[in-house]
Amino acid sequence: MNKFLKRLRHRRQLDRDLEDELRFHLEMGSEETGDLRTARRRIGNVTAVKEACREMWAFSSLETWWMDIRHAFRTLRNSRAVTAVAIVALGLGIGADTAVYTIVNGALSFNAGIKDADRVFMVSARDTLGRNVLSRSDPSARNFRSQVGAVMNLAAYRYRVVNVIDKNGLPDRYTCALMSANGFSVIGRRPIIGRNFEAVDEQPGATPIVMLTNHVWQDRYAKSPSIIGQVIRVDEVPRVVVGVMPAGMRFPEDIDIWVPLAANSVGDDDPVMFGRLTDGITLPAARNRLDMIAKRLTEKDPSTFKGLEVNVRPVLMIYGVYASRPIFWVLLCAVGFVLLIACANVANLLLARSAVRSREISVRIAIGAGRARIIRQLLIESIVLSVAGGVLGWVLALCGLHGFDSSIMTKPPWLDLSMNTNVFVYLAAISVTTGILFGLAPALQLAKVDIINAIKNGGHGAFGGARGRHLSGVLVVFEMALCVMLLIGAGLMIRSALNLYGTPIGVNTADVLVLRIGLPEAKYPRPDDVVAFHRRLKTQIDSLPGVEEMAVTSNLPLGNSMEVTPEVEGAPPVEQGRLPRLGALVVSRDYFRTLQIPSRRGRFFSPADEASQSAVVIVNNSFAAKFWPGVDPVGKRLRVVKERVPQPWLTVIGVVPDVHQDYQRPLENDPLIYMPYALETQRAMFIIVRSRIQPEKLANAFRKEVQSLDENLPVYDVSTLGDRMAHQRLDVAVVVALFTIFAAIALLLASVGLYAVIAHSVSQRTREIGLRMAVGGTARDIVWLIFAQGIRQIVVGLSFGLAGAIALARVLRADLVGVSPSDPITCLAVVLVLILAGAIGCAVPARRAAHVDPVVALRCD
Amino acid sequence: MTDSSYQASMGKAEQRSQGELVQGTLDMLILKTLTRGALHGYGIAQLIQQVSDEVLRVEEGSLYPALHRLELDGVIDSEWGQSANNRRAKYYKLTPLGRKQLAKEASNWSRLAQAIARVMEMA
Repeated sequence: MNKFLKRLRHRRQLDRDLEDELRFHLEMGSEETGDLRTARRRIGNVTAVKEACREMWAFSSLETWWMDIRHAFRTLRNSRAVTAVAIVALGLGIGADTAVYTIVNGALSFNAGIKDADRVFMVSARDTLGRNVLSRSDPSARNFRSQVGAVMNLAAYRYRVVNVIDKNGLPDRYTCALMSANGFSVIGRRPIIGRNFEAVDEQPGATPIVMLTNHVWQDRYAKSPSIIGQVIRVDEVPRVVVGVMPAGMRFPEDIDIWVPLAANSVGDDDPVMFGRLTDGITLPAARNRLDMIAKRLTEKDPSTFKGLEVNVRPVLMIYGVYASRPIFWVLLCAVGFVLLIACANVANLLLARSAVRSREISVRIAIGAGRARIIRQLLIESIVLSVAGGVLGWVLALCGLHGFDSSIMTKPPWLDLSMNTNVFVYLAAISVTTGILFGLAPALQLAKVDIINAIKNGGHGAFGGARGRHLSGVLVVFEMALCVMLLIGAGLMIRSALNLYGTPIGVNTADVLVLRIGLPEAKYPRPDDVVAFHRRLKTQIDSLPGVEEMAVTSNLPLGNSMEVTPEVEGAPPVEQGRLPRLGALVVSRDYFRTLQIPSRRGRFFSPADEASQSAVVIVNNSFAAKFWPGVDPVGKRLRVVKERVPQPWLTVIGVVPDVHQDYQRPLENDPLIYMPYALETQRAMFIIVRSRIQPEKLANAFRKEVQSLDENLPVYDVSTLGDRMAHQRLDVAVVVALFTIFAAIALLLASVGLYAVIAHSVSQRTREIGLRMAVGGTARDIVWLIFAQGIRQIVVGLSFGLAGAIALARVLRADLVGVSPSDPITCLAVVLVLILAGAIGCAVPARRAAHVDPVVALRCD
Repeated sequence: MTDSSYQASMGKAEQRSQGELVQGTLDMLILKTLTRGALHGYGIAQLIQQVSDEVLRVEEGSLYPALHRLELDGVIDSEWGQSANNRRAKYYKLTPLGRKQLAKEASNWSRLAQAIARVMEMA
């Protein structure tokens, strides 16, 4: 190493010595043969010998790399325009790619704070009637549970939304999980302060306790360690805070606090079961074992375990990140296309410049540079270019992500826009790879340059020629084809969005305020208490100035619906468990008037219905059409079957038009039942208020009215109905926006690419054009000549692109709304857009060609 | 890196003519030549040519890179001196390490040559 540094310091001396040594050799040789030229011929290219010797000195490689990099910077500085265009193109491509990768990487590495999340699963075991066997408490179910326990450590939770009151601020609404004591050990996390849940906490009579998430501890208690041991009221139950979980740990879903499960196990919903695979068991093996257990039980005890099926799903499924995966890949592909287009574009720019550089390269080869060295030099140049593009891309990605972050209002839990090591490795990798990708073709082309011709002709005609132009043409066709695919993707998404937004929801969303209130069971134990509270609230709210109408509902439009199994009177009997599952809403009598849903037939619920809890029901058009086609449904009867038990008959009193409830399928209307609020009261309902003034202005007055009725009740989720509707469709809007941006970049790059190639070919054909004009060609002939070249490339690119798009668009099918993947209107629009962009790209060079002065053109060199 | 550039400097296959050195033997020949005492590059090439009755011809294009590499490897050493006709020339000489290396390569070579001879003389 020391020797190496010494040589590095004395390398000029070494160079001189080498020079002397070789000169001595030549002199000796020429003395002997009497002829310097023979001696020279024998030794060959002296520069090459020197170069080979220098390479023997270890540092020469270092030095040449440094030289090449410096040379690259010089060359790039000398052709500023090309460099700038290339860096911008690459920056756009790499930036878009990095931004999307950041999102995808965040989503794929999301684990909700669960240790080894790939070994934790949601487990359900249902029989033919859809009953959850795992959570039953009879002895045979316990036996089953213990058998399953050999395969995985089982825990359970139940979801609640609760009101939290303490001395630290306003009452707030939190999501709470009632979790079995072993839940945290299954997750694999321990509290950072305080203690874990213990088995005794589940026993009846144990002191009620609560565990906090890190964000609640931070936001509400300012990370004060003294919170441990304090008492807070959760749904009116005083609970001792026993611990705080580590940051980022959110299971299940967007949870705020946990309480022990058994301490509050009243409720009609099944607890959700989850478990961690026992060490050493693989998932397929575990699935096999569970299936075997289920089969054995079904055979042994067919009455209790009829058709028992055990279902195991990855725990991260509940966060929705799995469902978003296909669209991630689609977006990643789309930005990949943009990057490829940018690459092709820059390759074309470099090819065009090759003509100018062929002379320089030829001279360097002539004075002894090896071709490998030339290729290396050119590749270093393109890598320097792409790394600069990468830096710009990084900045653009940061801006893009920032914009994305501030434009979406509700963030899914898995969304992580921070750039971690993975992202930087990816950024570096794509920067260097793109450099090699777009640099290789021009470099190989140049290294093959015909030295003699290049030097003789001063660069003109030596390079390029038919082969160079052919390569450029292929690249442009490639760009066009990719661009067509992106445009079609964007077009399809835009058509979907138009369909989505263009379909009326069926209600008047303007001037409606939405908010939620949850009434805790401890204070409002009976359904009547809940109804009474809402009735009192309505009297107060209706008297507020600016309020037109107030109503209560279980679900909002586009907010899905409850699932019920209705049975229509007089319909042929259906086997138990095979009744259709349909949607239902529980609404108060003013729901339809508040949302301005008209009546088709019959009437709405009346105050008398509500007061006397009459057994009445309203159905939507689709329901009526499905069950009573061509018959007046008013007066018919239906009933709901709950857990195999039919409920009392309900008489249909009215029919209303369809309102969209399922926002994921906006073009389909499902049969829907509206149940009277007095019959099916729920604790947590949406309050909707139609106002005569701006709805936001009502929010504070509303809060005051609620507090005057119960000062411990938090009012939450306050927004206008219009905003909420926009939210529900946000994912589509985001995908549409991203696709449109990518397609716009692609179109810009592709048409600039076409422009560059046509312009370059015009400049190369100046002499030919001059000649044509000299022998009588008109400006129109020349323009046509240039256009014909561009149009040929557009047409070929279009046909490849359309074929590719039709093949690829199928992956988008799940995200399309009311438009087929091979939609002719979209294809036609894309063809027109591309031809227009291409025509603009050709027009400028064609104009220049038409203005060529034959005298000047023919005289040039 | 050294190896590949050495091979590259040995010339292209189609240019290989009679008397071209078998790949990898140039090092050994240089070392052997230097057992006679210090020599400059030109002298080494001449000596190999003479001793081999003009059968082996050393291409200068590969001689000097080889000398520099051997020097870097520490098997030969160099110093500047006066040539017979009073010119400044770079003289190379064997180092102890070089002698060891030569002994190893020579025995390898004779084993290889005998083996080839036995195969070629097969009846």
